[in-house]
Amino acid sequence: MGGFLLRKAGAALIVVFCSSLVVFAGARALPGGPAEALGGENRDPSVVAAIKHAYGLDKPLPVQYVKWIGHALRGDLGLDARQLPVAHTIVTRIPITLELAFLAVLIGTVLGVVAGVIAAVRRGKLSDHAATASALVGLSVPHFWLGLMMIIAFAVDLHWLPAGGYVSFGAHPIQNLEHMVMPAVVLGTGLSAVLMRQTRSAMLTSLGADYVRTARAKGLSEWSVIGKHALRNSLITVTTVVGLQLGALISGAVITEQIFVIPGFGRLTLEAIDQRDYTLLQGVVLVAATGYVVVNLLVDVVYSLLNPRIRVSGSVTP
Amino acid sequence: MSFIDATAATINPRARRRRLLRKRFLRRPLAVVGLVVSLTFVLAAILAPVIAPYSAGATDFNALLAHSSRHHLLGTDELGRDVFSRILWGARASIEAGVLATGLAMAVAVPIGIVAGYYRGWVDAVIARLTDVLLAFPFLIVAVGLAAILGPSLTNATIALGVGAAPALIRVARGEALALREEDYVRAAVANGASDVRILARHVLPNMLSTLIVQATVAIPAAIIGEAVLSFLGLGVQPPTPSWGVMLADAQSYLSQAPRLAVYPGIAIFLCSLSFNLLGDGLRDILDPRTTR
Repeated sequence: MGGFLLRKAGAALIVVFCSSLVVFAGARALPGGPAEALGGENRDPSVVAAIKHAYGLDKPLPVQYVKWIGHALRGDLGLDARQLPVAHTIVTRIPITLELAFLAVLIGTVLGVVAGVIAAVRRGKLSDHAATASALVGLSVPHFWLGLMMIIAFAVDLHWLPAGGYVSFGAHPIQNLEHMVMPAVVLGTGLSAVLMRQTRSAMLTSLGADYVRTARAKGLSEWSVIGKHALRNSLITVTTVVGLQLGALISGAVITEQIFVIPGFGRLTLEAIDQRDYTLLQGVVLVAATGYVVVNLLVDVVYSLLNPRIRVSGSVTP
Repeated sequence: MSFIDATAATINPRARRRRLLRKRFLRRPLAVVGLVVSLTFVLAAILAPVIAPYSAGATDFNALLAHSSRHHLLGTDELGRDVFSRILWGARASIEAGVLATGLAMAVAVPIGIVAGYYRGWVDAVIARLTDVLLAFPFLIVAVGLAAILGPSLTNATIALGVGAAPALIRVARGEALALREEDYVRAAVANGASDVRILARHVLPNMLSTLIVQATVAIPAAIIGEAVLSFLGLGVQPPTPSWGVMLADAQSYLSQAPRLAVYPGIAIFLCSLSFNLLGDGLRDILDPRTTR
């Protein structure tokens, strides 16, 4: 187990390192460059040169990289265009997106797994067809459009929920949830559709397996056969899928936050682009990539706990 | 069915397989509907200049935010532009992005995946790590970065969507190549002294085609929705060029006045991606031996 984790953590470190190189190179490839951006309207070469010198941008690229990554490792991502520390801005925005993502994963997993289990157990019946059809619709519908439709229905027409904005949970828990319901549902539906399909097919496989037949032969209740034996083995698939959907979740959060005017990490990314704030963008992308890798590492760990065979073969992808 | 056709089909196994697949496909009504509807969208995109009642930018200031009527099938937007015509024109951006992004992803991913799966060893390890790095960047972040570096446009959005779709395809192609290299006919070709290029092009690639076709029908609707998202955010098609995403972005300001402006483009995106998904499901059922029992 220890060796397996070490190998996985090592691979994750390499990925984070490569990602940081990509981010660093990407920021240098941006038109204008950071010095010109900091200079603003002032394009006087001597001013630009002074800025370059002040920020160490006249040094060779490897030196700049080492300096940048050294600061980043100590939690210093530099100052954005408004001279505010990037790391601090990111840290204040992340909890908002984490709450949104948590609620979305919760809604998506519960809906997806329950629908998937029902569809598999009642294979070929009406409920199976209904669940399969909804999953197909959930996969095909553009989620940001679903968000617009929900705003029209529940905010504009019915006045049940606010159309957008954010209230922190600490300030007002009820209002916080009122603001989060629609975004979380919008973000969760895509996940639930993917999960429903995967759960259904995983359940169908495990329901046909020998250990389920054995469990039935022992006279266990159907509830226990499905819940304890079939579902537990299907959960391995579910964990992987949730992990793999993380990228889609980050992308989804960007647009969901944009539609519902939630000041989270996703909106921060778009703000960085809008304002051409390269230091901010660099920090945001680095944090997003690192977060993605870390969560995938966690998924690998959970996966190996659920499926001991993985620890031996050492590979997650079958 | 003429006599000659029948014998040709029984003698030529490839023709027989094709006929069998066609028969199996036609037995799936949903897949047929998917094929018909997706082809309709492709045709609408190609024929937009011919069939659209108005040009994409034509304004009618006597009918601003008009309801549907004989003159304007789906009404008009805030500039008096015909919504139905703009949806037809908008199909161009969506289909273009969907098909080209998928083609780009295939062109990049398949050779890389085949080489990784066929040669294994350090090549495979390096490619696997690189794929992990690519996967660490959600496609929207890649698209956002590209838009920042190259400027927002349909082409750059398409490139971003293609790059975003590539890692998953690399994994699929690698997995297929890994399995195919153990097949007897590949070993026979190796024993016969065939060159690597010949083996990969003549034996490995053709045998993973059906899997790749299914992957393409999954990737196309994803890219269509992706294009809408990017254009909606202002990172893809730039107004006044019509695109479903741009139309939705414009409609956002009129949600209470004219919600229909937000409804129609969304339905177009939904139907278009649903039709490709239905087609993909049908193709998977008939082409993938693991799901046909």
